[in-house]
Amino acid sequence: MPNGSTSGIINGNGHTLAVHVRNVTKTFGTGEARTQALKGVDFDARQGELLLIVGPSGCGKTTLLSAIAGTLEFDSGEIDVYGTALHQARAKDITLFRRRNVGFIFQQFNLIPTLSVIENVSVPLLINGMKRRAAEQKAADLLEQVGLKGRGRERPGNLSGGQQQRVAIARALVHEPRLLICDEPTSALDKDTGAKIMETLRDVARKPDRCVIVVTHDNRVFKYADRMTEMEDGRVSRVHEAPNEATLKGDH
Amino acid sequence: MYHLALKMLIGDRAKYLMLVSGLSFASLLMTQQCAVFFGIMLWTTSHLRNMHASIWVVDPKVEQVNEVKAMRDTDVSRVRSVTGVEWAVPLFVSVQQTKLNNGNFKPIMLVGLDGATLVGRPPVMLEGKLEDLRLPNSVIIDDLAVQRLSVGRPKPLGLGDTFEINDREARVVALCKADRHFFGYPYIYTTYDKALQFAPKQRKMLSVVLAEAKPGWTHEATARQIERETGLRAFTEKEFFWATIWWYFKNTGIPVSFGTTIVLGFIVGIAVSGQTFYTFVLENLRHLGALKAMGASDWMLSRMLIVQALTVGLIGYGVGVGLAALFGFAVMEKGMPPFFVPWQLPAFTFVVILIICLFAALMGISKVRKLEAAIVFRG
Repeated sequence: MPNGSTSGIINGNGHTLAVHVRNVTKTFGTGEARTQALKGVDFDARQGELLLIVGPSGCGKTTLLSAIAGTLEFDSGEIDVYGTALHQARAKDITLFRRRNVGFIFQQFNLIPTLSVIENVSVPLLINGMKRRAAEQKAADLLEQVGLKGRGRERPGNLSGGQQQRVAIARALVHEPRLLICDEPTSALDKDTGAKIMETLRDVARKPDRCVIVVTHDNRVFKYADRMTEMEDGRVSRVHEAPNEATLKGDH
Repeated sequence: MYHLALKMLIGDRAKYLMLVSGLSFASLLMTQQCAVFFGIMLWTTSHLRNMHASIWVVDPKVEQVNEVKAMRDTDVSRVRSVTGVEWAVPLFVSVQQTKLNNGNFKPIMLVGLDGATLVGRPPVMLEGKLEDLRLPNSVIIDDLAVQRLSVGRPKPLGLGDTFEINDREARVVALCKADRHFFGYPYIYTTYDKALQFAPKQRKMLSVVLAEAKPGWTHEATARQIERETGLRAFTEKEFFWATIWWYFKNTGIPVSFGTTIVLGFIVGIAVSGQTFYTFVLENLRHLGALKAMGASDWMLSRMLIVQALTVGLIGYGVGVGLAALFGFAVMEKGMPPFFVPWQLPAFTFVVILIICLFAALMGISKVRKLEAAIVFRG
């Protein structure tokens, strides 16, 4: 499903970058309600890595994630994702880019309750123009991979939180996107289920040409990250290589 | 994606039923009320179908077919002498009183036909012979007259029975079927000469001159020629039909009364459907945002909303028109209230329902177009 655009920029350390962000700013509101969420963010995500973005509430993590995903227009700066310059692309092209290259996992799963599990998973394929039968076949295969074989005809509401998140993962991966964007994927889950979800995401990130970016407050999952970017007050404050629970003091 | 759009719609059972109910109600109200209105309007022109003729010549002051301003008997000859007129015959039309067996009185529409030609004869004969109308005191009565004038009799009025019109004996020689008149009076046919005997004497008694155009003359051209040469007013059947309809439009509260109900049906439809569909979109905004984030374009989401709106529209339209048709079949036997559905009526209702649905869809589309895909990242 990924398109054939360039693989990405190579940085000074020889890593091929999936995401390259330079001096990005974003302001919400006007007048007294004006809030600058991003104040010149510089940020890189490498291909083949699982990267965490952490920081206190309101520091701009989700805004940055939205901008990288192409779901939010930013005011200035440059964002390059797998060779596509989002700051130069038209809205229509960004939609097309997202359709082919980005998978999403949300904190509240965002599964459509009136559709069956298999229909929910097949949505990205249908958006990409695949025929219904083929899309549902592929969705069924992926459900089997995430351990939900035989649950395809059920409604999401009949599944546990962990199972729903696995459905969301299947939906995010079904069209084989290169970039996986995850917003607090474990915050609604218990420790064991969260750990399984993170292991799955790490496995996805290990595949060539892939990148998984996770915004989280959950310090139990730090150990799964290849790198961790810490944000503070609309800027990237630190980048940690191979972090663990002890890496950061305090609870993000 | 369309099947998913429909599953999203039908899956929200309460809103789906509310939408279909609203549109069904609007469709039923508009179709049924229009059909009754058209039926009433048709009643106003029943003379034209019950005394069919190509050209109707009347007093210059007459504006519609139910008005009678008597003319001189010599006006028949004047019309006959007009260039382009093939033939012309007199017609008497007037409301008269009949006496029932129980002593009560009932108004009837007395029609006097030219005795020689019987032009203006009843449209459908049920029993008896038309020619018997030339017998003394003879009348042909319609099925409504049988029903109305049989009160107090051991059996319904039939061939050979007698009753009184203005204290003069009338004998039934045939039964016919006629379209019902706006005022609900039964039609009683006799010859022109006998009608003048049944009716109280007046200085002028001729109601209408019925005429036909010569070969090579159109009805319109002949009517205009009659007007030029006689100073009387002449209508073709079609002109008299529309003149009558417009007269009732302009001079009675009927169109306003029915129009109000029809407009209310439209408003209820648009309010209920628009509001419910908008709420449906609002409640699904997060899911629509997720679809948008996954790469669904505004156009794709708009098409999904249009498919949803049109689906409930079609179902609502079908249910509404179906219920209106059931109502029509139920009242057809009695003929009350009048019910007439020209093909334009279901087409009109369909277009109005389509407009309501597109309005509802547009409200949703405007919301979806403004929707930021980033909404899915907000808690």
